[in-house]
Amino acid sequence: MSLALSVGLLAAGGTFLLFQRGMIRIILGFVLLTHAVNLLIISAGGTARRDAPFIGGDTSMAADPLPQAFVLTAIVIAFAITVVMATLAVVSRDDDDTEVETEAEAKTEEDKGDSGSLPERGESA
Amino acid sequence: MGRNAGWLAAIGLGSLAAVVGFRVPGLLSDGNLSVIKETTPWMPTLDISLGLRLDGLSALFLIIVLGIGALVMAYSARYMSERIVHPHTGYFAWMLLFAFAMTGLVLSDDLILLFVFWELTTLCSFFLINRSGEKASAPAVRTLLVTAMGGLSLLFAVVLIVVRTETTVISEALASNVWAEDAGFTAGISVLIAIAAMTKSAQFPFHMWLPDAMVAPTPVSAYLHAAAMVKAGIYLLLLFSPALAETPVWQVLLMSTGLLTAVMGAIFAMRRFDLKEIMAYSTVSQLGLIVALIGVGTASALATAALYTLGHALFKASLFMVVGIIDRQAGTRDIRILQGLWRKLPATFITTLLAGLSMAGVFPFLGFISKEYLLGKILSTGEAGWVGAALVAVAVFASATTFAYTARILFGAFSNYRGSNREVEQDQDHSMNETVREAKPSFYLSALTPALLGLILGPAISILHPLTGAAGSAAAGSIYDASFKLFGGFTVELVLSLSIYAFGILAITQRRSLDTFFERRYLGFQAIDVVEAIRLGAIKLGTKVGDTTRTDRPLGHLAAPWVIIAVLTVVSLVTIGNLGDLASAEEPWTDLVWLGLLAVTVIPAVFTKFRLVAIILVGAAGFIVALWFFSLGAADVGLTQLLVELLTVVALVLILRRLPKVFHAVSRPRQLMTGLMAVSVGVVATLATFAFTGRRDISPVGQHFLDEAYKDTGGTNVVNTILVDYRALDTFGELTVIAVAGIVVIGILRSRKVLGEITPDISNWANTALGRTVDNTLPVRMVAKWAAPLIVLLSFHLFFRGHYEAGGGFIAALVGATGFGLAYLGATSDSKAPIAWPYRGLLASGVIVAVLSGVWGFAVGSFLKPVRFDIPLPWGGEYGFTSAMVFDLGVYLAVLAIIIAVLNELGGVREAQKEPRSVAGPVLVAREFLEDREAQPSKVPASLGSSEDQDSDDEPGMNGTSEGGNK
Repeated sequence: MSLALSVGLLAAGGTFLLFQRGMIRIILGFVLLTHAVNLLIISAGGTARRDAPFIGGDTSMAADPLPQAFVLTAIVIAFAITVVMATLAVVSRDDDDTEVETEAEAKTEEDKGDSGSLPERGESA
Repeated sequence: MGRNAGWLAAIGLGSLAAVVGFRVPGLLSDGNLSVIKETTPWMPTLDISLGLRLDGLSALFLIIVLGIGALVMAYSARYMSERIVHPHTGYFAWMLLFAFAMTGLVLSDDLILLFVFWELTTLCSFFLINRSGEKASAPAVRTLLVTAMGGLSLLFAVVLIVVRTETTVISEALASNVWAEDAGFTAGISVLIAIAAMTKSAQFPFHMWLPDAMVAPTPVSAYLHAAAMVKAGIYLLLLFSPALAETPVWQVLLMSTGLLTAVMGAIFAMRRFDLKEIMAYSTVSQLGLIVALIGVGTASALATAALYTLGHALFKASLFMVVGIIDRQAGTRDIRILQGLWRKLPATFITTLLAGLSMAGVFPFLGFISKEYLLGKILSTGEAGWVGAALVAVAVFASATTFAYTARILFGAFSNYRGSNREVEQDQDHSMNETVREAKPSFYLSALTPALLGLILGPAISILHPLTGAAGSAAAGSIYDASFKLFGGFTVELVLSLSIYAFGILAITQRRSLDTFFERRYLGFQAIDVVEAIRLGAIKLGTKVGDTTRTDRPLGHLAAPWVIIAVLTVVSLVTIGNLGDLASAEEPWTDLVWLGLLAVTVIPAVFTKFRLVAIILVGAAGFIVALWFFSLGAADVGLTQLLVELLTVVALVLILRRLPKVFHAVSRPRQLMTGLMAVSVGVVATLATFAFTGRRDISPVGQHFLDEAYKDTGGTNVVNTILVDYRALDTFGELTVIAVAGIVVIGILRSRKVLGEITPDISNWANTALGRTVDNTLPVRMVAKWAAPLIVLLSFHLFFRGHYEAGGGFIAALVGATGFGLAYLGATSDSKAPIAWPYRGLLASGVIVAVLSGVWGFAVGSFLKPVRFDIPLPWGGEYGFTSAMVFDLGVYLAVLAIIIAVLNELGGVREAQKEPRSVAGPVLVAREFLEDREAQPSKVPASLGSSEDQDSDDEPGMNGTSEGGNK
């Protein structure tokens, strides 16, 4: 049960941060969410057997090795993504803000309002 | 060859037409229902084949398409301007493609093939119209919209028929019992087919695209809008007549629409001043008459429809071509401006006269015969006599108006149009040429030929009996012998024709007052406005729908998945049944400790407003998760998690100094809303984890790995064997991801200006700990001196033992990279920190080594299959070597390289400016740069990170070699 609660806690924290403004918080939210999902995948292997899966001894209580392999890959790839996002956080104009001001938003809406109409057409009934 | 390619095309099409023409007698010698078939398998799994069928109907339409096509091609050879060579290739290509599409359409015996060719004609017509200039794009789009809608209707009908009759072959589908048994189905199909045909043949309410499409050059109009494309709709109606002709819905729909269109088209023709537009409306009107005739449905009516189609193709093509000739010779098409041309263009005048008289239905032209029989068939419809009489009255009115607008054409074009007194704007474009000469014979012959044919075929109508009879039989589904006669005695039809002449002549004499009557505008809007409104409305709707996700914020995009998750939760909570028991109820007490620690780190991390605090807390949470992994028996994973978390924090700290201290403020309502969403996600995650995991024993595949790993791979660390032996390809993919991420980071940082460091506002800089960097970093450097060799050794040790105990490529590389991180922390200034290793090369070599180890695997069977042999060790015993270790080496190199790249790029000397907080322009930066060089010549001049920088080496740590190249 505590594993499930941990997953939920991390997921909630991660999602909350993901919805906030600013690249750093989005990165942190992503990191926490990754933790939550990794824990979930490991827990899919079952939490009753908790021995490390090494051959050459008693493997009757060894944990399921397959989820562990998945998670290992996932951790490294998540790191790669985190690094890329961190790079993106520092190449904008002022700071790591991810949201445009509302006036600028309104202006761009205006600009794309006219794209649907066609030029003049001949007279016909 | 330029425009003379038209002659070539004409010869080609003409010979094909001749071939068809001469085969027809042979075809029909077996009786009027004979058919020639060819099939080739096309999509065997779907049972669709390229079935082709030549029967009477196909033969008639083929002759029309190919024959008129030949004439139009010959006409284009003279119509097209000589000077512009380039666009002609496109024109001829599209026209011939169109001819091909029409041929395919009338020959196809498979419903799917029919649909494909139908759409191909739509497409060709769009392109032909569209390429005629800028103001042609709007009409082309409108045409496409209307005809494509008809195509959709046809698709529905085809699919329904295929599903219902279980065959795609047209001849079989039409002969099925379904038509007789299921009235609802038949009615539905009738409507769908009728709509498809009506859009193609420009019937009300889909008529507006035809006059609109007159922006296309005249040969295009002559072919498409007179003889070929609009006839596709007629062909479709005739094709489906065997099945649908008895259906009341079909009959009523076709007859009403047809007659309505006939009247409407004729009236509109009376209002126009552009010859081409008059022709367009005339086409609409004439097609309406044909459609109404098909609606009658009897075999004789269908044969008459076929005859009328032929006649119409002849005179309409001729008339369109004449309009083109007048346009070329006289410079304008406006009947108010054209005067007295009958003297100057005699041959053209004769042609127009012949074609026009055929259109008006004057004895002894072909048009007369077809009109007479048309009136007769319409008169005889319906059980009650008055139905036929009412309908024929409408037809008579339409025909009288036809007579009137024919006169309008003749008078308007060639003599003096004395219609209404509306002023004409006399501008340069619209005045008649001063010298109007007759066209060359090569030009007008192609127009004269069909007109002459219309005259000849009238008395010689019996030549056409086999053809029309076959067409009628095919359309009716039963044998029909045509017996059209030029003069059938004093019948009701003759009286009707005479009355048409009378009304027509009356209209001519009264034309001035009639024109004022016609020219008044009755409705406030035009049909084109409706199409435009529909089009713009659809675009607006699409924009609105797209607006829901047209945002850059993650919140906007994540809202939809969140809603779906919430709905799924509720649904599953309600519907889920028995889950099974938990595998073990006992939890070690350490689990609760980890949970508590997580709560302590995650919750403050979420609420804090300081960036540094948040990063530290999230890092701590990552360590707790590593503890979780160890506790669950995932040794390798825990190690990896630990090291990765460490490096993540390092990476984030490296960028932290360029960002403000606190986070951006977020509004209260938004916090509440996102908090609510986050809590719900957490609840869902908890419930899902609790419900779906831990309720069974170890998975079969996991047990398999535990049992077989040593036998298959020789390794004892099962997780590692899965990564580098069993699922090496996945790891290879991951390797590629790492390499790409590294390149992306380098690429972004090289091409964009990085934010500058934010130096704190401290007055006495030199005496603080930050100012005295050498002293400050002394402890770290001391530790690093001793630790570095140990770290390297540890890294290698972990690498080599990975296959047998906890370790492996990833962990070893991460440990090694931590050593580099230590070097960074111990550097005294930014310029001394960078690591002089070619990390780009390392990234690449990592991938290459992995590929090579995989290729080695081909020696024993397949890519990445491990090759094993034993190496005797110097101190006795053996080391079980496997090529998976080489693969692991590739992993090692790549992971090491990306971390070095990150440390260097994000933390290195590559800075845009030294000023706190503001982004300096290029001038300011250059000035800073120069000042810098004078003050500290030993300091490495930084490249400024702008996009036009040199990129010769990736080692900014090398002193003196990375001078800016192009300042």
